[in-house]
Amino acid sequence: MLCRYDCGSPEHQITRRSLLAGLAGGAMGTFGISRFAVPAVAEELKSAQKRVLIIFLAGGSSQLETWDPKPNTDTGGPFRAIPTSVPGVHISELLPYSAKQMHRMAIVRGINTAEDDHGQGAYIMETGRRPDNVTRFPALGSVMSKFVGPADSPLPGYIHIQPGGAGYNKQDSAFLGPKFASVSLGDGNPPPNVVRPESLTESADRMRNMLRQRANERFAARRRTAETEAYSYSYEQALQLMERREVFDVSKESPQDLERYGTHDFGRHCLLARRLLENGVTCVKVTHSNYDTHWENFDFHIEQLGEFDRPFASLIGDLADRGLLDSTLVVVMAEFGRTPRINAGLGRDHWSRAWSVALAGCGIQHGAVVGKTNPNGTQVTDREVHGGHLFHTYFRALGLDSKQKYHVGGQPVPVADQTVGPIEELLA
Amino acid sequence: MPDRFWISSCAGAPPSLACSLVLLFSWSTAAQEPNRPLHELIDEHVSAPWKTNGTTPAALADDAEFLRRIYLDLTGSVPSTAEARTFLDQPAPDQRTALIDKLLASPEFARHMSRVFDVTLMERRPDKHVPANEWREFLRIAFAEKKPWDQLVREILSSDGADPKTRAAAKFFLDRDAEPTVLTKDLTRMFLGMNYQCAQCHDHPLVSDYAQEHYYGIYAFVSRSYLFTDKKNKNLVSLAEKADGDVKFKSVFDKTKTEHATGPRILAGPPIAEPKFDKGQEYAVAPADGVKPVPKFSRRAQLASLLAVPTNTPFNRNIANRLWAHMMGRGLVQPLDLDNSDNPPSHPELIELLASQFVAMKYDVRALLRELALSQTYQRASWLPETAGELPPERFAVALIKPLSPEQLAWSMMQATGVTDSACAALADKCTEQTLHDRLAGNVNEFVATFAGAPGEPDVRFQASLDQALFLSNGGLVRGWLVPGTGNLADRLVKLFNAEQFDAVADELYFSVLTRRATPDECAEIAEYLKPRAADRAVAIQELIWALLTSSEFRFNH
Repeated sequence: MLCRYDCGSPEHQITRRSLLAGLAGGAMGTFGISRFAVPAVAEELKSAQKRVLIIFLAGGSSQLETWDPKPNTDTGGPFRAIPTSVPGVHISELLPYSAKQMHRMAIVRGINTAEDDHGQGAYIMETGRRPDNVTRFPALGSVMSKFVGPADSPLPGYIHIQPGGAGYNKQDSAFLGPKFASVSLGDGNPPPNVVRPESLTESADRMRNMLRQRANERFAARRRTAETEAYSYSYEQALQLMERREVFDVSKESPQDLERYGTHDFGRHCLLARRLLENGVTCVKVTHSNYDTHWENFDFHIEQLGEFDRPFASLIGDLADRGLLDSTLVVVMAEFGRTPRINAGLGRDHWSRAWSVALAGCGIQHGAVVGKTNPNGTQVTDREVHGGHLFHTYFRALGLDSKQKYHVGGQPVPVADQTVGPIEELLA
Repeated sequence: MPDRFWISSCAGAPPSLACSLVLLFSWSTAAQEPNRPLHELIDEHVSAPWKTNGTTPAALADDAEFLRRIYLDLTGSVPSTAEARTFLDQPAPDQRTALIDKLLASPEFARHMSRVFDVTLMERRPDKHVPANEWREFLRIAFAEKKPWDQLVREILSSDGADPKTRAAAKFFLDRDAEPTVLTKDLTRMFLGMNYQCAQCHDHPLVSDYAQEHYYGIYAFVSRSYLFTDKKNKNLVSLAEKADGDVKFKSVFDKTKTEHATGPRILAGPPIAEPKFDKGQEYAVAPADGVKPVPKFSRRAQLASLLAVPTNTPFNRNIANRLWAHMMGRGLVQPLDLDNSDNPPSHPELIELLASQFVAMKYDVRALLRELALSQTYQRASWLPETAGELPPERFAVALIKPLSPEQLAWSMMQATGVTDSACAALADKCTEQTLHDRLAGNVNEFVATFAGAPGEPDVRFQASLDQALFLSNGGLVRGWLVPGTGNLADRLVKLFNAEQFDAVADELYFSVLTRRATPDECAEIAEYLKPRAADRAVAIQELIWALLTSSEFRFNH
């Protein structure tokens, strides 16, 4: 049995869908679907599918140089706060483009994750749980590719765009299984094995798949199970993905967009994220490195945020213009913030006691600012929350019950930390 | 039987015949006919409810279905083409029993068991302190030498990793960093068939049998243990133990916050008796800088002799259930680590019978697998007549379909495509199970990376994913195996194609890949497919092999 839990039951739908495909037209019918389905997908996307975009500022971006500036205080550093498109809400002057998108965004300023280690902090933010040695929880992207991903998409549900190597990361999906693992697109290259090898012609590939399907039909005539169906269907998905491999190719975007997003890695990665979301990928995570500014915090933030600001704001604006923002939850997070105290090297160190996260899109109250820190940003004074609250909030923002449970090996496991709940003020 | 008796008469003793016999004869009526072979009793238990619930079972599997299944379950690979031909073309009387015995005695069996139990016990965690190859070799030798299961488990639970001779056995503890919460969870799951994780903070909310004090009873055996790093050799990490540290706990559900305490105990059993020492006298080797302390009384040392012994019924039920699931595709208790009265076994008397018989067999894994393999329950076909409708899997009236593990898939693909035979030919008179394994094992890594679940998660759920299909479709490893090369499958098929022997192509292809004869329809399909392909024969042959390698019939054990 593949799926016994209340999960929107993608596996059941797969089974039904592939059964129909198998019965209706056999091999050729299935090849047909992939060609005609492409334009239809985009339309359907706008109406029904929900998506998640995570921007991860690796190393720990400074809340004081981004979403919670404290100018003219002992901790505030050299930068000003500037007004945004939401009256009364100010953010750092290092984010002028983002400031103009604030009416589509929300800020949580009262985060206290109480964990200053990079790995553990990232785990808390990605899973909504404190690490406990015993159970590893799935990451947000894997979770949502399971809960809101379309059952029969040929595209991977969770794509991670980052500098470096490409591959599959099963840690992300933990007990949800390899199907919901993240696929890393190192530097925006397609995932491994998506491109048909030169020695294999398209017609040879079609022929051998037809043979495979005929063999499967004979086998299934006597032994049809959800597992054999899912296995057979995975090849149809693979063929469709191979046909659509251009979704990974950001160079197909217009020169104007390439220019507007910027020619640096993060710019291209944001544009690729837009392309993937438009094409129906459920969860995209873009990692921007590196904010671990123990020395020269201010120079580094000028540089890093100088890369971050414009493509990020362009992405928010473009998603809105295309009617996709209302169905796309956007989260800008890091593993923690940075110390209000400025150290001897003009750096800021790890600081998880009072920092900020920005959100936008699906289910989020536009322009909301929730939580406060004291005047010099050393502690949360109002509406203190942690990764658990945020995880509940993501579920609710996407229209999902955050009190539901997984069933792992027959045991119920809450999808989010059940000692806390969502940040209701943040929800639209 | 009073609790005190339970602890005093059998605890710490090697598996004693007296204990086994008491268990053997106290459970079920079927067990009271000692002259009847176990496999007959199994079939009797399984079929008993069928009359009342109107079950019509599947027929017995034909020789081809049996052959593929038994090879996969006992050796981890499909048979060679030659073995398949001999078994199917020249059937001998009672050849199924002879084959079961041959495979159980083979070196491939020990190798396969070492992989199965490695995955069961370590769940593909990345190596930390003991290299996986040393641990698997320890397991392989244990199965090759017919080490009884209880003894194997006692060795795993007893080794502190300091002595190179027994270090590999300590992987279970060392690679979990001797972390007591992790150990408690995995000791209860893997050796007792009970997942006590939910009882760490309170009595299990859904399972009335799983009490928080049971959790902390197991926890207390290991909570004083920790990793000790040798000062001279930083790589030599072994287990050390303190002489103090008592286990206290309270339930998060308890508003009065009452604190409880427990000494080491196996579930509902009584806490062990612990000697008292005067202050300062607790250690045989006192803790000091760079010195590994040795307490006069080791709690951890008690664990093996209390847990892995015949009197510990959950220990016996767990392994009987796991071996059953290995062969039958699902446990009598399912999930395998949720044995409790709220989740009763599908066949309560049968699990007790298997557990007690396994004790009587002196925990001989081969002996129990042999009886399971000989049963009609195991030897049923995996398909039902169309009129039969769907049958619940827990009736075991039709053989269940099992996905191949990543290792089974890799070794079977190598066997089917001729990689294995070619490697053996290249090794010539040095070709043994060991040398062949060493030469080809590197190919298995990519399969594990692609088909296994996340490290630290049990390998129990089948998921077909896109990347797996892409790996088998476009990946270089498998594509390389399809290219004709001396004596491999593609080479043999191209030669037959050149001679226009289309039936022979079908025959050789189906024997090699699917361990059966091609049907007349399949022969016709192949002839029809190949006749127009005289211009690109090798390509056409590769398409044929690939199509069967990636078919459901190959991907599953049925």
